[in-house]
Amino acid sequence: MDSTKASGETAINMPESKSTKAKTVVYATTKATPLPQGGGWKRGVAIFDFILRICALVAALAATTTMGTTDQTLPFFTQFFQFQASYDDLPTFTFFVVANAIASGYLVLSLPFSIVGIVRPQAAGIKLLLLILDTVLVAFTTAAAASAAAIVYLAHNGNSNTNWLAICQQFNDFCQRVSGAVVASFIAAVIFIFLVVLSAVALRRH
Amino acid sequence: MAGLELGAKDSGSAESRVHRGVAVLDFILRLVALIATLASAIAMGTTDESLPFFTQFIRFRAKYNDLPTFTFFVVANSIVSAYLVLSLALSIFHIIRSGAQSSRVVLIFFDTGMLALLTAGASAAAAIVYLAHKGNTRTNWFAICQQFNSFCERISGSLIGSFGGIIVFILLILMSAVTLSRRH
Repeated sequence: MDSTKASGETAINMPESKSTKAKTVVYATTKATPLPQGGGWKRGVAIFDFILRICALVAALAATTTMGTTDQTLPFFTQFFQFQASYDDLPTFTFFVVANAIASGYLVLSLPFSIVGIVRPQAAGIKLLLLILDTVLVAFTTAAAASAAAIVYLAHNGNSNTNWLAICQQFNDFCQRVSGAVVASFIAAVIFIFLVVLSAVALRRH
Repeated sequence: MAGLELGAKDSGSAESRVHRGVAVLDFILRLVALIATLASAIAMGTTDESLPFFTQFIRFRAKYNDLPTFTFFVVANSIVSAYLVLSLALSIFHIIRSGAQSSRVVLIFFDTGMLALLTAGASAAAAIVYLAHKGNTRTNWFAICQQFNSFCERISGSLIGSFGGIIVFILLILMSAVTLSRRH
Protein backbone atom coordinates (compact mmCIF):
# COMPACT_ATOMS: atom_id res chain seq x y z
CA MET A 1 0.00 0.00 0.00
CA ASP A 2 1.15 3.53 -0.66
CA SER A 3 0.65 4.56 2.91
CA THR A 4 3.62 2.45 3.95
CA LYS A 5 5.90 4.63 1.87
CA ALA A 6 4.41 7.96 2.76
CA SER A 7 5.10 9.93 5.93
CA GLY A 8 2.94 9.63 9.02
CA GLU A 9 0.87 12.73 8.24
CA THR A 10 -0.62 11.52 5.00
CA ALA A 11 -1.43 8.09 6.42
CA ILE A 12 -3.78 9.67 8.98
CA ASN A 13 -6.28 10.48 6.25
CA MET A 14 -6.76 6.80 5.52
CA PRO A 15 -9.14 5.73 8.34
CA GLU A 16 -11.94 8.01 7.08
CA SER A 17 -12.40 5.97 3.91
CA LYS A 18 -11.31 2.49 4.87
CA SER A 19 -12.27 0.00 7.53
CA THR A 20 -10.56 -0.48 10.89
CA LYS A 21 -7.94 -2.60 9.21
CA ALA A 22 -6.47 0.58 7.75
CA LYS A 23 -6.24 2.14 11.19
CA THR A 24 -3.93 -0.62 12.34
CA VAL A 25 -1.81 -0.05 9.28
CA VAL A 26 -1.51 3.61 10.24
CA TYR A 27 -0.15 2.74 13.63
CA ALA A 28 2.18 0.24 12.06
CA THR A 29 3.66 2.64 9.55
CA THR A 30 4.25 5.35 12.09
CA LYS A 31 6.48 3.02 14.03
CA ALA A 32 9.47 3.91 11.91
CA THR A 33 8.90 7.65 12.08
CA PRO A 34 7.76 8.62 15.59
CA LEU A 35 4.41 10.31 16.03
CA PRO A 36 4.90 14.01 16.79
CA GLN A 37 2.67 13.92 19.88
CA GLY A 38 4.14 10.62 21.15
CA GLY A 39 7.72 11.75 20.62
CA GLY A 40 7.00 15.16 22.11
CA TRP A 41 5.59 13.67 25.29
CA LYS A 42 8.59 11.40 25.75
CA ARG A 43 10.92 14.26 24.95
CA GLY A 44 9.27 16.38 27.65
CA VAL A 45 9.71 13.57 30.15
CA ALA A 46 13.37 13.23 29.12
CA ILE A 47 13.96 16.96 29.55
CA PHE A 48 12.34 16.84 32.99
CA ASP A 49 14.59 13.88 33.79
CA PHE A 50 17.65 15.94 32.81
CA ILE A 51 16.56 18.88 34.97
CA LEU A 52 15.95 16.57 37.94
CA ARG A 53 19.40 15.09 37.51
CA ILE A 54 20.97 18.54 37.72
CA CYS A 55 18.97 19.29 40.87
CA ALA A 56 20.09 16.00 42.43
CA LEU A 57 23.68 16.79 41.47
CA VAL A 58 23.46 20.14 43.22
CA ALA A 59 21.97 18.53 46.33
CA ALA A 60 24.55 15.73 46.48
CA LEU A 61 27.45 18.12 45.91
CA ALA A 62 26.12 20.43 48.62
CA ALA A 63 25.85 17.50 51.04
CA THR A 64 29.40 16.33 50.27
CA THR A 65 31.05 19.70 50.60
CA THR A 66 29.08 20.76 53.67
CA MET A 67 29.97 17.58 55.52
CA GLY A 68 33.50 17.45 54.22
CA THR A 69 34.41 20.93 55.35
CA THR A 70 33.25 20.57 58.94
CA ASP A 71 35.93 21.52 61.38
CA GLN A 72 35.06 23.20 64.60
CA THR A 73 37.55 23.93 67.34
CA LEU A 74 36.25 25.02 70.69
CA PRO A 75 38.07 27.91 72.33
CA PHE A 76 38.21 26.17 75.72
CA PHE A 77 39.49 22.87 76.92
CA THR A 78 37.89 20.41 79.32
CA GLN A 79 39.29 17.11 80.47
CA PHE A 80 36.28 15.09 79.25
CA PHE A 81 35.69 16.28 75.67
CA GLN A 82 37.81 16.61 72.60
CA PHE A 83 37.99 20.26 71.76
CA GLN A 84 37.89 19.68 68.02
CA ALA A 85 35.15 18.13 65.92
CA SER A 86 35.49 17.15 62.28
CA TYR A 87 33.61 14.79 60.02
CA ASP A 88 36.20 12.03 60.17
CA ASP A 89 35.79 11.68 63.92
CA LEU A 90 32.81 9.49 63.16
CA PRO A 91 33.19 6.70 60.56
CA THR A 92 29.53 7.09 59.62
CA PHE A 93 30.17 10.64 58.47
CA THR A 94 33.17 9.49 56.46
CA PHE A 95 30.90 6.96 54.72
CA PHE A 96 28.40 9.79 54.18
CA VAL A 97 30.97 11.97 52.42
CA VAL A 98 32.22 9.09 50.27
CA ALA A 99 28.71 7.96 49.31
CA ASN A 100 27.55 11.43 48.35
CA ALA A 101 30.74 11.96 46.36
CA ILE A 102 30.04 8.73 44.47
CA ALA A 103 26.43 9.85 43.88
CA SER A 104 27.64 13.21 42.53
CA GLY A 105 30.14 11.50 40.25
CA TYR A 106 27.48 9.12 38.94
CA LEU A 107 25.12 12.03 38.26
CA VAL A 108 27.79 13.89 36.31
CA LEU A 109 28.47 10.77 34.24
CA SER A 110 24.78 10.12 33.63
CA LEU A 111 24.10 13.60 32.25
CA PRO A 112 25.34 12.70 28.72
CA PHE A 113 23.14 9.58 28.75
CA SER A 114 20.20 11.73 29.74
CA ILE A 115 20.95 14.10 26.86
CA VAL A 116 20.97 11.12 24.50
CA GLY A 117 17.57 10.22 25.92
CA ILE A 118 16.31 13.70 25.01
CA VAL A 119 17.69 13.58 21.50
CA ARG A 120 16.41 10.06 20.84
CA PRO A 121 13.20 9.53 22.83
CA GLN A 122 12.80 6.00 21.53
CA ALA A 123 16.07 4.68 22.95
CA ALA A 124 14.85 2.22 25.57
CA GLY A 125 18.19 0.62 26.35
CA ILE A 126 19.68 3.80 27.75
CA LYS A 127 16.59 4.54 29.84
CA LEU A 128 16.67 1.00 31.23
CA LEU A 129 20.35 1.30 32.13
CA LEU A 130 19.77 4.64 33.84
CA LEU A 131 16.79 3.21 35.71
CA ILE A 132 18.80 0.28 37.06
CA LEU A 133 21.70 2.47 38.16
CA ASP A 134 19.31 5.04 39.64
CA THR A 135 17.66 2.31 41.70
CA VAL A 136 21.00 1.20 43.11
CA LEU A 137 21.80 4.79 43.91
CA VAL A 138 18.47 5.34 45.65
CA ALA A 139 19.50 2.62 48.07
CA PHE A 140 23.05 3.94 48.36
CA THR A 141 22.13 7.58 48.97
CA THR A 142 19.33 6.69 51.37
CA ALA A 143 21.73 4.47 53.30
CA ALA A 144 24.28 7.27 53.65
CA ALA A 145 21.66 9.87 54.58
CA ALA A 146 19.82 7.67 57.08
CA SER A 147 22.93 6.43 58.87
CA ALA A 148 24.22 9.99 59.20
CA ALA A 149 20.76 11.07 60.39
CA ALA A 150 20.87 8.41 63.12
CA ILE A 151 24.22 9.73 64.35
CA VAL A 152 23.02 13.34 64.12
CA TYR A 153 19.92 12.45 66.14
CA LEU A 154 22.16 10.87 68.73
CA ALA A 155 24.43 13.92 68.76
CA HIS A 156 21.44 16.20 69.30
CA ASN A 157 19.61 14.18 71.93
CA GLY A 158 22.10 11.75 73.43
CA ASN A 159 20.82 8.56 75.01
CA SER A 160 20.41 8.13 78.74
CA ASN A 161 20.03 4.35 78.53
CA THR A 162 23.46 3.86 76.99
CA ASN A 163 25.15 6.82 78.68
CA TRP A 164 25.84 8.55 75.38
CA LEU A 165 26.11 12.30 75.81
CA ALA A 166 24.68 14.82 73.38
CA ILE A 167 27.75 16.44 71.85
CA CYS A 168 25.71 19.11 70.12
CA GLN A 169 25.50 21.03 73.34
CA GLN A 170 29.19 21.79 72.94
CA PHE A 171 29.65 21.82 69.18
CA ASN A 172 26.83 23.99 67.87
CA ASP A 173 28.30 24.99 64.52
CA PHE A 174 29.45 21.46 63.74
CA CYS A 175 25.97 20.12 64.51
CA GLN A 176 24.26 22.70 62.32
CA ARG A 177 26.49 21.95 59.33
CA VAL A 178 26.09 18.24 59.73
CA SER A 179 22.31 18.47 60.03
CA GLY A 180 22.17 20.63 56.90
CA ALA A 181 24.26 18.12 54.99
CA VAL A 182 21.93 15.28 56.00
CA VAL A 183 18.90 17.26 54.79
CA ALA A 184 20.59 17.89 51.43
CA SER A 185 21.36 14.21 51.08
CA PHE A 186 17.76 13.24 51.78
CA ILE A 187 16.64 15.69 49.09
CA ALA A 188 19.00 14.00 46.65
CA ALA A 189 17.58 10.58 47.61
CA VAL A 190 13.99 11.77 47.01
CA ILE A 191 15.00 13.18 43.62
CA PHE A 192 16.54 9.79 42.77
CA ILE A 193 13.20 8.14 43.57
CA PHE A 194 11.46 10.57 41.21
CA LEU A 195 14.03 9.75 38.53
CA VAL A 196 13.32 6.03 38.85
CA VAL A 197 9.56 6.52 38.56
CA LEU A 198 10.02 8.92 35.64
CA SER A 199 12.20 6.44 33.78
CA ALA A 200 9.64 3.71 34.43
CA VAL A 201 6.84 5.90 33.03
CA ALA A 202 8.94 6.77 29.98
CA LEU A 203 9.81 3.11 29.37
CA ARG A 204 6.24 2.12 28.62
CA ARG A 205 5.55 1.16 25.05
CA HIS A 206 2.11 1.99 23.78
CA MET B 1 1.76 -7.85 8.73
CA ALA B 2 -0.97 -5.81 10.35
CA GLY B 3 -1.73 -8.64 12.74
CA LEU B 4 1.90 -8.84 13.85
CA GLU B 5 2.21 -5.08 14.22
CA LEU B 6 -0.98 -4.82 16.22
CA GLY B 7 0.72 -5.80 19.41
CA ALA B 8 -2.13 -8.05 20.34
CA LYS B 9 -2.20 -9.74 23.71
CA ASP B 10 -0.88 -13.01 22.30
CA SER B 11 1.79 -11.58 20.06
CA GLY B 12 4.54 -14.13 20.21
CA SER B 13 3.81 -16.84 22.76
CA ALA B 14 7.52 -17.09 23.57
CA GLU B 15 7.50 -13.46 24.61
CA SER B 16 4.54 -13.88 26.95
CA ARG B 17 6.07 -17.06 28.35
CA VAL B 18 9.22 -15.15 29.28
CA HIS B 19 7.09 -12.46 30.89
CA ARG B 20 5.11 -15.05 32.77
CA GLY B 21 8.32 -16.67 34.03
CA VAL B 22 9.60 -13.30 35.16
CA ALA B 23 6.28 -12.63 36.90
CA VAL B 24 6.49 -15.96 38.75
CA LEU B 25 10.07 -15.14 39.79
CA ASP B 26 8.80 -11.74 40.96
CA PHE B 27 6.22 -13.47 43.16
CA ILE B 28 8.81 -15.83 44.64
CA LEU B 29 11.23 -12.98 45.34
CA ARG B 30 8.46 -11.06 47.08
CA LEU B 31 7.87 -14.03 49.36
CA VAL B 32 11.60 -14.19 50.13
CA ALA B 33 11.69 -10.47 50.93
CA LEU B 34 8.60 -10.84 53.11
CA ILE B 35 10.24 -13.58 55.16
CA ALA B 36 13.49 -11.61 55.46
CA THR B 37 11.93 -8.33 56.61
CA LEU B 38 9.48 -10.05 58.95
CA ALA B 39 12.34 -12.02 60.52
CA SER B 40 14.33 -8.81 60.96
CA ALA B 41 11.44 -7.02 62.63
CA ILE B 42 10.78 -9.92 64.98
CA ALA B 43 14.46 -10.46 65.79
CA MET B 44 14.92 -6.82 66.69
CA GLY B 45 11.57 -6.47 68.40
CA THR B 46 12.08 -9.35 70.79
CA THR B 47 15.41 -8.19 72.17
CA ASP B 48 15.47 -8.09 75.93
CA GLU B 49 18.62 -8.73 77.87
CA SER B 50 19.01 -8.25 81.60
CA LEU B 51 22.43 -8.40 83.16
CA PRO B 52 22.80 -10.34 86.40
CA PHE B 53 24.85 -7.64 88.10
CA PHE B 54 24.29 -3.99 88.78
CA THR B 55 26.71 -1.11 88.43
CA GLN B 56 26.03 2.54 89.12
CA PHE B 57 27.07 3.73 85.66
CA ILE B 58 25.32 1.41 83.24
CA ARG B 59 21.71 0.29 83.04
CA PHE B 60 21.39 -3.43 83.65
CA ARG B 61 18.73 -4.01 80.97
CA ALA B 62 18.77 -3.53 77.22
CA LYS B 63 15.74 -3.54 74.93
CA TYR B 64 15.24 -2.40 71.37
CA ASN B 65 13.19 0.63 72.32
CA ASP B 66 15.98 2.03 74.46
CA LEU B 67 17.29 3.47 71.21
CA PRO B 68 14.79 5.37 69.00
CA THR B 69 16.67 4.29 65.90
CA PHE B 70 15.90 0.64 66.63
CA THR B 71 12.24 1.51 67.17
CA PHE B 72 12.26 3.11 63.72
CA PHE B 73 13.96 -0.03 62.36
CA VAL B 74 11.22 -2.31 63.71
CA VAL B 75 8.48 0.02 62.44
CA ALA B 76 10.06 0.33 58.98
CA ASN B 77 10.48 -3.43 58.60
CA SER B 78 6.90 -4.00 59.73
CA ILE B 79 5.56 -1.50 57.20
CA VAL B 80 7.59 -3.08 54.41
CA SER B 81 6.38 -6.57 55.42
CA ALA B 82 2.76 -5.40 55.33
CA TYR B 83 3.32 -3.78 51.93
CA LEU B 84 4.84 -7.01 50.59
CA VAL B 85 1.80 -8.98 51.69
CA LEU B 86 -0.44 -6.52 49.84
CA SER B 87 1.74 -6.47 46.74
CA LEU B 88 1.62 -10.26 46.45
CA ALA B 89 -1.90 -9.77 45.10
CA LEU B 90 -0.65 -7.41 42.40
CA SER B 91 2.14 -9.84 41.60
CA ILE B 92 -0.36 -12.64 41.06
CA PHE B 93 -2.33 -10.31 38.78
CA HIS B 94 0.83 -9.79 36.73
CA ILE B 95 1.28 -13.54 36.38
CA ILE B 96 -2.23 -13.83 35.00
CA ARG B 97 -2.13 -10.77 32.76
CA SER B 98 1.37 -10.32 31.42
CA GLY B 99 0.37 -7.35 29.33
CA ALA B 100 -0.37 -4.93 32.15
CA GLN B 101 1.70 -1.75 31.96
CA SER B 102 0.17 0.91 34.18
CA SER B 103 -0.05 -1.44 37.14
CA ARG B 104 3.62 -2.28 36.68
CA VAL B 105 4.51 1.41 36.84
CA VAL B 106 2.44 1.74 40.03
CA LEU B 107 4.24 -1.30 41.43
CA ILE B 108 7.65 0.22 40.57
CA PHE B 109 6.63 3.48 42.26
CA PHE B 110 5.66 1.77 45.49
CA ASP B 111 8.60 -0.63 45.34
CA THR B 112 11.02 2.29 45.09
CA GLY B 113 9.37 4.06 48.01
CA MET B 114 9.52 0.93 50.13
CA LEU B 115 13.15 0.36 49.09
CA ALA B 116 13.99 3.84 50.38
CA LEU B 117 12.15 3.21 53.67
CA LEU B 118 13.78 -0.18 54.18
CA THR B 119 17.25 1.16 53.38
CA ALA B 120 16.76 4.10 55.71
CA GLY B 121 15.77 1.83 58.60
CA ALA B 122 18.50 -0.70 57.95
CA SER B 123 21.33 1.80 57.53
CA ALA B 124 20.32 3.92 60.52
CA ALA B 125 20.25 0.77 62.67
CA ALA B 126 23.58 -0.30 61.16
CA ALA B 127 25.14 3.02 62.19
CA ILE B 128 23.94 2.54 65.77
CA VAL B 129 25.02 -1.11 65.81
CA TYR B 130 28.49 -0.08 64.62
CA LEU B 131 28.60 2.48 67.39
CA ALA B 132 27.48 -0.10 69.93
CA HIS B 133 30.26 -2.44 68.83
CA LYS B 134 33.10 0.02 68.55
CA GLY B 135 32.11 3.07 70.56
CA ASN B 136 33.69 6.39 69.76
CA THR B 137 36.55 7.85 71.74
CA ARG B 138 36.25 11.34 70.30
CA THR B 139 32.65 11.77 71.42
CA ASN B 140 33.02 9.70 74.60
CA TRP B 141 30.41 7.22 73.48
CA PHE B 142 31.00 3.92 75.19
CA ALA B 143 30.70 0.59 73.34
CA ILE B 144 27.74 -1.05 75.06
CA CYS B 145 28.38 -4.39 73.35
CA GLN B 146 31.08 -5.13 75.86
CA GLN B 147 28.38 -5.56 78.47
CA PHE B 148 25.37 -6.74 76.48
CA ASN B 149 26.66 -9.60 74.36
CA SER B 150 23.43 -11.37 73.51
CA PHE B 151 21.62 -8.10 72.80
CA CYS B 152 24.41 -7.08 70.44
CA GLU B 153 24.38 -10.40 68.61
CA ARG B 154 20.60 -10.14 68.15
CA ILE B 155 20.65 -6.61 66.75
CA SER B 156 23.56 -7.38 64.45
CA GLY B 157 21.87 -10.49 63.10
CA SER B 158 18.57 -8.76 62.48
CA LEU B 159 20.34 -6.41 60.09
CA ILE B 160 21.16 -9.29 57.76
CA GLY B 161 17.53 -9.99 56.89
CA SER B 162 16.90 -6.33 56.25
CA PHE B 163 19.87 -5.92 53.92
CA GLY B 164 18.85 -9.09 52.08
CA GLY B 165 15.43 -7.51 51.62
CA ILE B 166 17.08 -4.44 50.11
CA ILE B 167 18.86 -6.53 47.48
CA VAL B 168 15.64 -8.38 46.67
CA PHE B 169 13.80 -5.07 46.23
CA ILE B 170 16.45 -3.83 43.79
CA LEU B 171 16.04 -7.07 41.83
CA LEU B 172 12.25 -6.66 41.83
CA ILE B 173 12.43 -3.12 40.45
CA LEU B 174 14.96 -4.25 37.87
CA MET B 175 12.74 -7.10 36.69
CA SER B 176 9.65 -4.90 36.49
CA ALA B 177 11.55 -2.32 34.45
CA VAL B 178 12.95 -4.93 32.05
CA THR B 179 9.48 -6.39 31.57
CA LEU B 180 8.10 -2.90 30.90
CA SER B 181 10.69 -2.11 28.26
CA ARG B 182 10.42 -5.40 26.42
CA ARG B 183 6.78 -5.12 25.35
CA HIS B 184 6.48 -5.09 21.59
